[in-house]
Parts: sequence; C-alpha cells; structure tokens
Amino acid sequence: MEIDIIELSERSAKFILSDVDTSVANGIRRAMIADVPNLAIEWLELYDNTSVLYDEQLGLRLALVPLTMHPDYVPESECTCNGEGCPSCTLNLRLDAKGPKTVYSGDIFSSDPNVRPADDNIPIVELKEGQNIMLGAIAHVGYGRDHVRWQAGVACGYKNMPDVIIENCDGCGHCIDECPRHIIEIKNDEAYISPENMIKCSLCRLCERACSLKPPAIQVSYDPRSFVFTYESDGSYSAKDLVLKAADVIENRAGKMAEILDKI
Amino acid sequence: MIPVRCFSCGKVVAAGWEEFKKRTEAGEDKGAVLDDLGITRYCCRRMLLSHIEMIDVISPYQ
Repeated sequence: MEIDIIELSERSAKFILSDVDTSVANGIRRAMIADVPNLAIEWLELYDNTSVLYDEQLGLRLALVPLTMHPDYVPESECTCNGEGCPSCTLNLRLDAKGPKTVYSGDIFSSDPNVRPADDNIPIVELKEGQNIMLGAIAHVGYGRDHVRWQAGVACGYKNMPDVIIENCDGCGHCIDECPRHIIEIKNDEAYISPENMIKCSLCRLCERACSLKPPAIQVSYDPRSFVFTYESDGSYSAKDLVLKAADVIENRAGKMAEILDKI
Repeated sequence: MIPVRCFSCGKVVAAGWEEFKKRTEAGEDKGAVLDDLGITRYCCRRMLLSHIEMIDVISPYQ
C-alpha cells in the first residue's frame, strides 16, 4: 500500500492510495462516514423556549452542531459505568439566551474545556424581544451509522486513478473542445495531458467520442488498484486524525474477526 | 433559519451564512462569495442560494 498526499488542510484532504483493492478503499470510505466515534448532543432538558422554533427543531439544530472530539470519551455502551452516565461517556452543555439577539453555536457553554463547538458562528435561532431560551444538553459519543449528528466524515469519496493513453494523434483538437475539465492541450502537434492534469480527468470518455480517427487516438482507462481519495471533516476531528481513526476502526474489527476465526 | 448542514453531503453550511448574507446584500457576486467561503459542491451551494429567512414572517404569530 502506498499513500501520496496531494492536499492536507485542517478540514479537508486529498490523497492517492495505490496498490490496494477496491475493498480496502471502500472500507476506509465507509469507516470515515459511519464508524468513527464522535460527540454530539443527544438529549435536551428544556427549561424555557419561547423562540419561534419548536423544541424538536431546536434540538435538531443543536444536535447537528459539530463538537470537537476528545479521545477520552467513549460510547455509553462501551463505558465502564454500563450506560448509567459518567464523565467519560457523558458531557453536559448549557445554553442560556435572552432576546433580542441571534443565538450562535459559540454561545453554547460546555462543562469540559476540551470539548467545544467546532464552529462558533452557526446561527441556532434568532430571538426577538421577550423571547428566551434556557436549556441543558447532554452529549454522547455515537457512530455515523446511527444518526447524521455523529457523522464526522463529509463527502468522502474516491475515483480510480485516470490513465489516458494518446497514440497516433493527428492533432485536430476536437477532444480539447469537448473536454469538460479543460485538461487536454496540444504539444508537438499531438494532444497531451500533463501528469498534474491527469488526476482531474473524470473518466467521462467524451474525448474518445469526439476523436475523428477510427479507432480513437485517445483512449481513457484507469488503474484498478489506485484511487484518488477526497474527503472533508465536519470539524470534530482534523482531516488527518479522521482517516487515522478510520484505519484504527478497521484494524480493530479485523483483529476481532481473527479472534473469532481462531476459536472455530 | 438556515439549515445547519447540507441535506446531501452533511457539510456544515450554516457557518458561512452570515458572511454570505452580508456580502451578497452589499452587491457581491453570489458565486464568488461561495467560492471564497469554500463551499464548492453544488449540493452545498444550493443550500445557501435557495434559502429564504422566514423568522420575521413567523415571529408575530407566536
């Protein structure tokens, strides 16, 4: 397995994963979306809500606010307290606001200084004169497969590494006009795609159809064991930690599988 | 209120709403502002582009 990082920022990343099967790439993708443990608000204790939103709408909006994940937290079902609620599986938060003002995610007060909303400027609700909100919230660790509030990986996807072969080209330029990604150019009277542009190809094959030669001088293919991976994080993990955590999850599961097989 | 996340991909789009509203009301091109905010996919772009604030319409009837 080889990994070649193209872009890596706090919240998004792009890398080439090569020398692996599709199942490995897809396993990482699915783990990032569904199997990475994440913190999110699950329960509300509402003392006062005279805002224009119903309690349930307010609850959904608060639940979808990403909280920065701290590795000390574990899911309730895996906690030593057996789901009774203790500081390692339960986080208390509070939100008090008096109108007129717009309530932002940054106004949520967390009882743990290590965990806070990943974005401070998400509008929760706009309060008018005389409207108040007073609530306590309980956040738990969960998995993206159960609800979107726990989904840490956003827009995780991959495509096979494109490989466009150009042979016996007459340089007519029809493929250049047709390409929606504008990656083909003319070099030495032949169509040419530079290595940095090759990765942008969407494998649409419009260039093949536009070619006037029979068989087409330009042929689109891909490497079945190489993948261009792109994903974003919602802010609960950094992009780097997210993919590492996803790999950990897969490793743990594979370990458990091996244990089961040993017993048989 | 602007939905917190994109319906399709789950990206947190609400964080960019205030800036989007302020800048487009000042006359900037909507597409350019979205690019600036890093909202590149069309699923996320439609969340901001098609949003209408209803809170001032509803609030008198509470």
